[in-house]
Amino acid sequence: MNHRSAPIEVRESVAFEEAYVNDALTRLRSYPTIEEGVILSTCNRVEVVAAASDGRLASTAIKSFLADQKARRHAGDLDEHVYTYLGPDAVRHLFRVAASLDSMVVGEPQILGQLKEYYDVAQKAGTVGTLLHRLFHRSFSVAKRVRTETGIASRAVSVSSVALDLARRIFDRLDDKAVMLIGAGKMGDLMARQLQNNGVQNLMVTNRTFERAVELAERMRGNPIRFEDFPRYLKMADLVIGCTGAPDVLLDVHAVERVLKERKYKAMFFIDIGDRRNFDSRINDLDNVYLYNIDDLKTVSEENLQERANEAQKAEGIVLEEVQSFGRWIESLEQVPTITALRQRFDDIRRGEIEKSLAGSLKGLSEEQKKAVEDMTAAMINKMLHGPTAHLKNNGRSDDDESLLYVAALKKLFNLEEK
Amino acid sequence: MDVWLLKLAALVYLIAAASFITYLFSPNTSISKRSPWILFVGFLFHSAALAAHFFLAGYLNVAQFREAVTVYCWLMVASYLIVQIKYHLTVLGAIIAPLALLMTLAAFAFGRGGEQLPPALQTYWLPVHVTLAFLGNAAFAVAFAVSLIYLLQEHKLKQKKFTSFMKRFPALETLDRLNYVLLVWGFPLMTLGIVTGSLWAGAHWGQYWSWEPRQIASGLVWMFYGALLHGRITAGLRGKKAALLTMVGFFVVLGYFLIGDALFPSRHGGKFE
Repeated sequence: MNHRSAPIEVRESVAFEEAYVNDALTRLRSYPTIEEGVILSTCNRVEVVAAASDGRLASTAIKSFLADQKARRHAGDLDEHVYTYLGPDAVRHLFRVAASLDSMVVGEPQILGQLKEYYDVAQKAGTVGTLLHRLFHRSFSVAKRVRTETGIASRAVSVSSVALDLARRIFDRLDDKAVMLIGAGKMGDLMARQLQNNGVQNLMVTNRTFERAVELAERMRGNPIRFEDFPRYLKMADLVIGCTGAPDVLLDVHAVERVLKERKYKAMFFIDIGDRRNFDSRINDLDNVYLYNIDDLKTVSEENLQERANEAQKAEGIVLEEVQSFGRWIESLEQVPTITALRQRFDDIRRGEIEKSLAGSLKGLSEEQKKAVEDMTAAMINKMLHGPTAHLKNNGRSDDDESLLYVAALKKLFNLEEK
Repeated sequence: MDVWLLKLAALVYLIAAASFITYLFSPNTSISKRSPWILFVGFLFHSAALAAHFFLAGYLNVAQFREAVTVYCWLMVASYLIVQIKYHLTVLGAIIAPLALLMTLAAFAFGRGGEQLPPALQTYWLPVHVTLAFLGNAAFAVAFAVSLIYLLQEHKLKQKKFTSFMKRFPALETLDRLNYVLLVWGFPLMTLGIVTGSLWAGAHWGQYWSWEPRQIASGLVWMFYGALLHGRITAGLRGKKAALLTMVGFFVVLGYFLIGDALFPSRHGGKFE
């Protein structure tokens, strides 16, 4: 289930706490129909990925496994919230999840990391076999392909990350820039934190109530400035964030013009996220000055979201391609027993003949010569079988008459059934 | 042979230009990532063409329009490649590569060739004067590309409208600084170009400055760039204004280069006797 199929209460009721995932995996594996399993449990989704020879039986088992998990919290019907995918649909779903096409905000990269973590847990718990190993690793590479071949994650979508993105388009680097925060509000706090996470070291905080400026400055390792003094310090700031609830504008275009002259026209970026307009909108008309208010930032954010949605279309194409390629691998797996039997058959013949010769005409060979004979015959067999093996692996589809004919012929010609 | 090599260079410049433009819109295709390398291959053919020409003629022949444009274009591409190595601003190639293509085509279209070098030009002053002057102007050509990108980026930031190809644009600060660096390199080179030209004129004609049209134009351009550099250093001239002025300067240089000799025949136009 995910954020679309189930409300948060339901998701929470079946969510697996990190410490108990191991136990849950063991419980899952105890269902006789489940051969391999991985549990993914994040705040937006609870998913059980399993490998089984009978998909329908396995999905019933998984449902009762989830119901059992839910029963531990509180009872209720799960059916309407759970989705089930079998075969290629399941592969496609996992690839979409990994590539963040199924996320609440499409293109957010966190899900891939979470998927890797839960895969690791399952692997350590021993519930991952050949199939899920291959499936998950393929899903990681699909996610990587989607990220590099589409622009799905290249645009910021939250207001603060849009502001940061804009700051980066103006300033080459942020670690040597000074930021002035006017107003110690929640939004400014968030923005300042994001800027600091991105290397900003020089932060000035000012607020009408000086104590609050001091408090926030201490938390952010910045410098508090008295409200009446902030215009004097403005010339030092490259980035100015206004987030007060002041009814009048704090800075008009003339004030900024003066500051700009003092700065020798070094670029300034004003971000106005106050409840009302903190900065005169004409500031944006000045050369080397850029002003974005909350509405501008939201507009950019929405445009970027739309852009992500367009890129997601491309990503779906990649996913489809990869699902088909994975399907071919699964089909080739069906030929593995035939290939193994064929190789075994040839090897048995080879060994039998070597033994016979070594006891008869080749008696008296040195150890070195024996090894040379051994290596040579093994290489011969390998070369002879290379073509047929590759053919079976690449073309051995169970739904294809010609392939079935080849497999049947091989079995008959080399008595493989009896082996 | 040199003409064939030059045609080959033009062809590679065409591919490079297409690749750089692809890079702007679809930066992830592997071919577009290799755009600077494609341009470099074109540069190698171009170098081979110049070398072949040099060995065939025995001197750096820049008296005719075709040769002059070819050498200038070659220096411009070289300057871009140096900037690319240091700053990794692949996006600049989207201007430089088409410019290189246009210049090479212009050399073919309007060029005359095959004339003998007048005796006045058969001197070591020629490569020294021309290389210095052209190097200065090549730096200004790259500065022009930098300024154009700056103005596009600046315009979009002011208008608050973003298009996908802007993703590849460097920060305004980076572009502005590079503009300054190119000016700092270009201006002294141009100065040296003018000084060596004057010394040559003094040695050959006994007159350092003869007020011929090309000299007047160079003098004006030199003053223009000098004022720009001075403004940048002392008066905080930067950003949009500096970018605009850099572009104006380059248009004057280019305009004179392309049509100046036709309008004002002079010694620089090949009439050296």
